[in-house]
Amino acid sequence: MNILEAKGLKKIYGEGENKVNALRGVDLEVKKGEFVAIVGTSGSGKSTLLHMLGGLDRPTEGEVIVEQKDISKLKDEELTIFRRRKIGFIFQAFNLVPVLNVYENIVLPIELDGAKIDKEFVEEIINTLGLSEKKEALPNQLSGGQQQRVAIARALAFRPAIILADEPTGNLDSKTGQDVLSLLKVSAEKFSQTIVMITHNDEIAQLADRIIRIEDGHIVSKVEGR
Amino acid sequence: MNDIVLYIGIAAAVLGVGFFIWSRISTKKTLDRVEELIDKAIEGDTFQESFSEERTSRLETKLTEYLRASGVSALNVKNERDKIKTLIADISHQTKTPIANLVLHGELLKESDLNPEQEECVDALLRESDKLRFLIDALVKLSRLENGILSLTPAKESVSSIVTEVASEMRGKADKKGLYIKTDLPEEDVKASFDRKWTTEALINIVDNAVKYTQSGGITLGIKNYEMFACITVKDTGIGIAEEDIPKIFGRFNRLESSRNEEGVGIGLYLAREIVKLEGGYMKVSSKPGEGSEFAVFLKKE
Repeated sequence: MNILEAKGLKKIYGEGENKVNALRGVDLEVKKGEFVAIVGTSGSGKSTLLHMLGGLDRPTEGEVIVEQKDISKLKDEELTIFRRRKIGFIFQAFNLVPVLNVYENIVLPIELDGAKIDKEFVEEIINTLGLSEKKEALPNQLSGGQQQRVAIARALAFRPAIILADEPTGNLDSKTGQDVLSLLKVSAEKFSQTIVMITHNDEIAQLADRIIRIEDGHIVSKVEGR
Repeated sequence: MNDIVLYIGIAAAVLGVGFFIWSRISTKKTLDRVEELIDKAIEGDTFQESFSEERTSRLETKLTEYLRASGVSALNVKNERDKIKTLIADISHQTKTPIANLVLHGELLKESDLNPEQEECVDALLRESDKLRFLIDALVKLSRLENGILSLTPAKESVSSIVTEVASEMRGKADKKGLYIKTDLPEEDVKASFDRKWTTEALINIVDNAVKYTQSGGITLGIKNYEMFACITVKDTGIGIAEEDIPKIFGRFNRLESSRNEEGVGIGLYLAREIVKLEGGYMKVSSKPGEGSEFAVFLKKE
């Protein structure tokens, strides 16, 4: 069962002479529970693709289907709620709310949605990511690696359909980055979470179940999944 | 006269508002109760059916009926598991004797006078019996792990010691092929949290795989020490794996075109990965065709 599908995605920025063909007809399928890496160099279109998949931007042409629902047809307001409930984001710049402590940051998406917090589940996530000692700490009291772990916990806590990660270790040194990636991988397995990660680094991509290569707005390799 | 009308009006308004508020509270209570029921159902919990005239009581009954029919309740899961447990035990037990007999008779046959063709046949028979035994063994183990019949007991163990142990255990096999097995270990003893017996088995499967697909050169086992994970690396100078095939090698019974000539059933790596996964770790591979492969096993330290 495909939890995510993209069909014929095209994205054009600008007009006339300044026209940029960021995506030139991208097809993609992700099964539930898969960890997929999208690899491409700078300017290949991978960030644009990620934005389309997460409903952060609309394609010029084509469809994005999440849990069998075509999100490219949703109105702005519906799209916002869709994102809030169905997509978890992990960015390169951790993007934690500086005035909230670790625990509050993690449960923020759940509270914004007005849903009930599954306390046991959140505790389990916190333990898996090695953050139990730091629940009350503020983001500025944490190292880069720890902050990214909080970001990962936040993305996992509300059980989104997909987690989209954009160069999650870009701001970390290689040793910390390896640990953070390992934690992302094992917690995704543990909680059966589907993850789509973009990176320019082959070694990071190897963690994934499947690698998709993008170049110049096109998918250049179709690697079958497990 | 007007006063009375006024009072009636106010009373009506107050009653109206009061009714409205009561109605809202009542609906909310019902919806909360329904959400609670569904949450319990999602978790696979059984819930107490109450028997009252309330609407929610009817809902509980219907939900219980639905769950029973769709077989998701915890009780159903347990029953299924017990059935599987019995089946696995039967398979494991009952196939032991026939296979032992196959091997016995094959070996007896080998000892008698045979022409080259006949000998080839007997050798093939023995090889296949061996494969069969390995296969059943692996499947039984897998099934027990997957169904929670056997569980892993992770403990703080020395990663360095199992690496050394596996290296020496596999050296004999590697020697037969003219391959070396080296270890490149850091000075300090690296510790992690894993099940010693099962992880050793997983590592043996990985090294076995490396030996199978390496024709010259050898295998190097190493350890990379991170803060939250310890990583065992198995690097070989073998035929390598194409990028599009990498996801497939961990598949259950999957064998690649390039490996058709080798003996194997295609379940060793799958089992290894499942074991590592159950311990809270993971595996990754990097490889290029013709340039060998490096398998990495990440184990949690905590």
